[in-house]
Amino acid sequence: MAHLTGNFLSESPLSPKAREALGDAIEQGWADPRKLAHSAARARLLHESAMASLAENLRLRPDEIEILGEPSLGHFYSIAGLLGPKEALVYSKVDRKEVIAIARDHQSSFALGVDSSGRIAAADLKVYKERIGVFALQIANGETGVIQDIEALIANSGGLRIAADFSSAGTWVPLPSRWDSAFFDARAWQGPQGVGVLAMHTGARWKNPLPHLGNTRTPQSASLPLTIAAAVALEEWLESQKAENTRLRTLSTDLREQVSASIEDCDIAGDLAQSLPHITSFSFLYVEGEELLRRLDAAGFAVDSGSACTAEDLQPSHVLAEMGVLTHGNIRITLHRDATAAHVTKLAEAIKVAVKDLRLP
Amino acid sequence: MKELNCLGMKCPLPIIAIGKEIRSINPGETIRLLSDDPASELDLRAWARMTGNQVDVKSPNEFLVTKSKVD
Repeated sequence: MAHLTGNFLSESPLSPKAREALGDAIEQGWADPRKLAHSAARARLLHESAMASLAENLRLRPDEIEILGEPSLGHFYSIAGLLGPKEALVYSKVDRKEVIAIARDHQSSFALGVDSSGRIAAADLKVYKERIGVFALQIANGETGVIQDIEALIANSGGLRIAADFSSAGTWVPLPSRWDSAFFDARAWQGPQGVGVLAMHTGARWKNPLPHLGNTRTPQSASLPLTIAAAVALEEWLESQKAENTRLRTLSTDLREQVSASIEDCDIAGDLAQSLPHITSFSFLYVEGEELLRRLDAAGFAVDSGSACTAEDLQPSHVLAEMGVLTHGNIRITLHRDATAAHVTKLAEAIKVAVKDLRLP
Repeated sequence: MKELNCLGMKCPLPIIAIGKEIRSINPGETIRLLSDDPASELDLRAWARMTGNQVDVKSPNEFLVTKSKVD
């Protein structure tokens, strides 16, 4: 078996510090914080501390956030909590599938297209500014890294309430000037899987969209140890985010240049200047994406794919399709904190060799 | 007009097939491509942009591909 030279998947292992915090939390924070026992009181303190840390580092108030143990439900909580049954839901065609599913199930929904750079034309939103409803604002796209022109969109959103999707943007992008709900996924700051942070802006007209008793906003079933690990991972992440932004952007620039210079007929989705610093989506003409993934994996490089040929439903990536980017032969590279210039050069070389071998005709 | 039947083929085989077949015709000539893969229309448009050829979508499964430049 090949030694893994580099992990370029969207997921990454927890840092040693977050792993240590997780281990400690499993020992100390196993009780239900809502109970009266001594062990529960200890868990309650740990919970409050983690919530305060997460809120502070996300620039939110502790009473504005809830933790979700099933992050993919965060889109539903964020949007449906703001949306009345007869109100308008405006979203984009490059939103996550969870958002598109919500829109399909809602009687009055409107999809905005994007241009070849992956961005919504802010003027397109103006059409809906007189509507009462919700604008599902994807801050950055997880497949391409493209960041929307957020403030221009908000300026054209009229009275629409804003459900901001930070699940891919994480803390790379600051909170917008106006928002009503926001959703984060701890994986965006290399935290553990299974932790979503749902934020309801103070004063926003948000209510729990699922059947519930009392005034609970979410199920309160998230794992406390994972929540603590997410808080520790976020603290650690923010210590180096500014420097990493510059470093990873330089590495992504190098990666894009090296690959496009050495391989003809290569599509890159989105402009790095308008994208998250660590995500690049390449598509190679006449190459089967699944084989490319296997070849790179065998060479020690783990990458993601948005190709139809590797998807369960054989449908092409709706994001690449909407941008007009080649949907086959696609790989997505995510650079993590441990990525170096040497890794990037080796990866670019491995891609070059694999594409040359696999390309037909 | 040449015809290329890629019905039943999955991505990226129809694009690979047209990439091969386009070499066998002269600039200005057209190939009628049949393909029912859901990615075909999207990828043919991207292929045309990248290779400088032209694609005319006649129906969801039928495309006229015109060679626009010398190999």
